[in-house]
Amino acid sequence: MNKRLFVQITLGLGLMMTTPMMAQAQDALARVKAAGVLKVGTETAFAPFDFIDAAGDHAGFNVDAFAEVGKELGVTIKWVELPWDGVLPALEAGQFNMVAGPATITKARLERYRFLSPVAEATVAILRRAKDDAIKKPEDIAGKTVGAGKATAQLAQLKTFAATLPRPVEAREYPAFNEAYADLAAGRIAAVANSLPNIAFVASKQPGTFAVVLPPFGQKSYFGYIGTKKPDDQPLLDAVQAALVKIKADGRMKKMQEKWFGTAFDTPDVAPEPSF
Amino acid sequence: MTPRLFELMLKAAGTTVVISVASIGIGLLIGILVCAARLSPRPWLRWPAGLFVSFFRGVPLLVQLLLIYNLLPAIGLTVPSVVAALIGLSLCTAAYQAENLRGGFTSVPRGLLEAADMVGLSPWQQFRRIRAPIALRLTVPALVNEAILILKASSLISVVGVIELTRTAQNLAASTYEPLLFYAVAGGLYLAINWLVAAGGSLAERALRRGRLA
Repeated sequence: MNKRLFVQITLGLGLMMTTPMMAQAQDALARVKAAGVLKVGTETAFAPFDFIDAAGDHAGFNVDAFAEVGKELGVTIKWVELPWDGVLPALEAGQFNMVAGPATITKARLERYRFLSPVAEATVAILRRAKDDAIKKPEDIAGKTVGAGKATAQLAQLKTFAATLPRPVEAREYPAFNEAYADLAAGRIAAVANSLPNIAFVASKQPGTFAVVLPPFGQKSYFGYIGTKKPDDQPLLDAVQAALVKIKADGRMKKMQEKWFGTAFDTPDVAPEPSF
Repeated sequence: MTPRLFELMLKAAGTTVVISVASIGIGLLIGILVCAARLSPRPWLRWPAGLFVSFFRGVPLLVQLLLIYNLLPAIGLTVPSVVAALIGLSLCTAAYQAENLRGGFTSVPRGLLEAADMVGLSPWQQFRRIRAPIALRLTVPALVNEAILILKASSLISVVGVIELTRTAQNLAASTYEPLLFYAVAGGLYLAINWLVAAGGSLAERALRRGRLA
């Protein structure tokens, strides 16, 4: 009797695992088009790309950009919001079709993910308190505590830069950049390291509290949207890539960049080989 | 805080309540089965039930949620955020509720059951008239306790993409730069919800004492 039960359970589990594989005869693009929905994973604590605005609505560059991508593909966008350190694992698990973020295009990430056409520059700079005159150039963070988001490329850039300074920098890791900004305003840390578009936006919203330290210290890098390298996902990612290139070519991208970053970036159509 | 933002907080509190209450209910059903299996004289029922309890009580809820959300798709079961949250909370609370119930059933005085045997009550009559009512009375305070714990632990489900009360407070605190206000409101809402749960528990206890229920 127990043997029969074992056989039944094994058969049942086997069936469960093979059914979805049979259902994947179509590729991801065909499935997204059939469903009419593109599922995009993101984190809403990354203004001005992705955040909840003061009226409580999901807003930012990502929302506008994916609305255009959705128009090009003829699908609606469904957002899945996770803490950033959970977004890429969930992408690999197949919880959504692609990731907005965006993420800094780095060598390590390129080995594992496919980056689409860059949407903004990501070079890292320092944000300080407006009244704190001790930090005049990036090197002045030596010996101080600087915050950045956990599992971010900006944190890695901060650590690399800190290693070149005469005195050690304590890099404090936060679940999201918003918490780092709050700690900076409260005086718990001396500075926050994040990409220029992000901190320029934060400083412009609260000029009495924050100021940007120029020039950026990190190596030149770009932000891009992310997909997997699974063969099944490639036709879909090709379609999104084509949509992004079209949006850039007809000037819509420039308008969105000016709206959210206060300036337009010259971003290549294809992600260039990153330097780190 | 504008009325619209307060409405968003209330809606998020609704999400917290619906998912928590559903999980506690599903968890109670599973917990009853697991408890029955643990008290069974058959080892092939007792063993898996014991394993279930030690796993879901021994692994942090946060890890369970991440496993369900990220690992189940690997065997072809892609569960949406809300379902992952429901599975995680339900299985976790089921393990605790099974143990609470088991505590209730094993606390029924042996003498009562021996007396029941003497007067010739059948095992079902003994369960219905003696064991279940006593176990239920002993378990209700622990059940209320567990419900409150799950309501608070539900703040973890934002890691699988469910935007509940805590996550909404975080989002709005960040966008309005008023963390104190939104965390205070979130705390107040949790307190109000849990006060209602505790009050409901007291009512149930009183009704049980007077013999109106079970």
